[in-house]
Amino acid sequence: MNDLKNPGATEKRTLVEEGTTFKGSLSSTCPILVKGTINGDLEAPSLTVAATGSVSGKVKAGELKSEGELSGEFDVDKIVLSGSVKDNTVIRAKALEVKLAVTGSKMQVVFGEVQLEIGDQPTREKAEPVKTDGNGKSVPPPPAET
Amino acid sequence: MAELTPDAVVSKVKRGEKLDRADLSGILLANAVLEGASFRRCDMVGANLEGARLRNANLKSANLCEAFLSGADLRDANLDNADLEGANLQRALLTGANLSRANLEGANLQGANLAGARLTHAQLDLANLGGADCTGAVLTHADLGECYLGGVKMMKSELTNANLSDSNLEDADFTGAVLADAQLRSVKARGAKLVGAILTKVDLTKANLSGADLTNADLRNSTLTDARLEGANLTGAKVFGLIAKGLQITGIKADWLDNSPNADGSVRVVATQIAAVLTGQAPARLPDDRSANRRYFGRGDVLRNASLQFDEGATVEIESLFEQCTIALGRGTELIVGSDGVLSGCQITGAGNITINGKFFEKPEGKKSSGAAIVGAHQLVVTASGALVGAVQQPPELTRFAFEPGCQLRMRISTSDSERNSLETRNGGSRNGDNKSAKR
Repeated sequence: MNDLKNPGATEKRTLVEEGTTFKGSLSSTCPILVKGTINGDLEAPSLTVAATGSVSGKVKAGELKSEGELSGEFDVDKIVLSGSVKDNTVIRAKALEVKLAVTGSKMQVVFGEVQLEIGDQPTREKAEPVKTDGNGKSVPPPPAET
Repeated sequence: MAELTPDAVVSKVKRGEKLDRADLSGILLANAVLEGASFRRCDMVGANLEGARLRNANLKSANLCEAFLSGADLRDANLDNADLEGANLQRALLTGANLSRANLEGANLQGANLAGARLTHAQLDLANLGGADCTGAVLTHADLGECYLGGVKMMKSELTNANLSDSNLEDADFTGAVLADAQLRSVKARGAKLVGAILTKVDLTKANLSGADLTNADLRNSTLTDARLEGANLTGAKVFGLIAKGLQITGIKADWLDNSPNADGSVRVVATQIAAVLTGQAPARLPDDRSANRRYFGRGDVLRNASLQFDEGATVEIESLFEQCTIALGRGTELIVGSDGVLSGCQITGAGNITINGKFFEKPEGKKSSGAAIVGAHQLVVTASGALVGAVQQPPELTRFAFEPGCQLRMRISTSDSERNSLETRNGGSRNGDNKSAKR
């Protein structure tokens, strides 16, 4: 997450600075960097939450990178997570990346009570061998679970 | 002084005459058309050949010390044993050229194109190769000591037994390069890309590899004494036999390392053990140790309604179909669901380390017994090919999670607190009358 450590980046973005708390709906066509706190609904092409930042509410974004604190409902394409995810949070994304912390017993991400819906609905059809009933006839696999 | 005028040289070349052993020192042949010319053993000290077209020229053993060859076209030229000490070859085209045993000491090759060139046993110490393209070049036994190699492209180049000590490799790209038995003492390689590079038996003593990308690099039996790896990425690196006394690894990134002698992935070091293995605080586990505690369930096998218990230290690999099984893992037990493995309606309990490359499905609604599908895992990794459908209950000290892009998840993560609270709610409220859900 180099961009979190590069505040001098020249691209335009909306910045919620440390010590700032924003309550309400926020919609932006440029990337948002949160170092402070956002409580409310948020829509942006990309959202970056710094280690000092926290976002709570309904979020729709193309890309989400977080080293801070998340809670609420997140609908994103791609999410790169570290930091913490609080209770009662739902994350829906096409792709999720969480790396293991290498040193010590440090957690890369601390998950509370969280629901993750990532990628396509998993199915078992390909991997399972064909089952047969007592008469030797093949039985279709059970429907995919939700 | 040259014994021939520039016009005479060009005329001779046009007529196909050889100029071998001629004295052409200091001659002005900038932009001259000299393709295919033969200048074997010529004295061309200080010659101006800027932009000259020397494609396929034969310059074997020629003396080109301090020659000006900036922007010259030397594609497929033969410069075997040529003396190019201090020559200016900036932006020269040297693709496919033969520079074996050439002396390029202190030469300026900035921005030159050396893709596919042969530089075996070449002398390149103190040369400037900044930003040069050496993709697929052969530099075995070459001397690149104290060279400037910043931003050089060395993808898939061959540098076996080369000497790169004290060189600057910052932001260079050595992806897939072969550097076996090379000397890289005290190299400055911050941010260098060494993905999949072969670095076996390489001396990297006091090397600065901070922020370097060593993903899948083969570092077996190499020496990294007093080297710096802060912020470097070592995921999948092969580290068997690594000598790493005094290695600085603060902030390194690695999901796992391969500690098998044959680099076949048979001995994986998980993230929690990486620091200890790299710093020599934990002994390398040999495959024999592992096989003694290894359980393998092969492809095509089906296990139903079984209860399995694996003790501490065991490694369990499942490529089979498990249905309605319960698996208890001891502390630190490795459970790997292979890419063909499917666990359907199963429950895994205990403080093991679980890696899912295949598929895991909890019991369908209605058939569920009480409790989550995975309970108390110390570590849970779902790789790019993995899928997990089910509830995961973390232990009080929480589970270490890792998810690779491409994995498919329908997961409900809970903490032991929230599980306890919901149980208490189901049983008619908490003992203390406090019904607040536990928040972290």
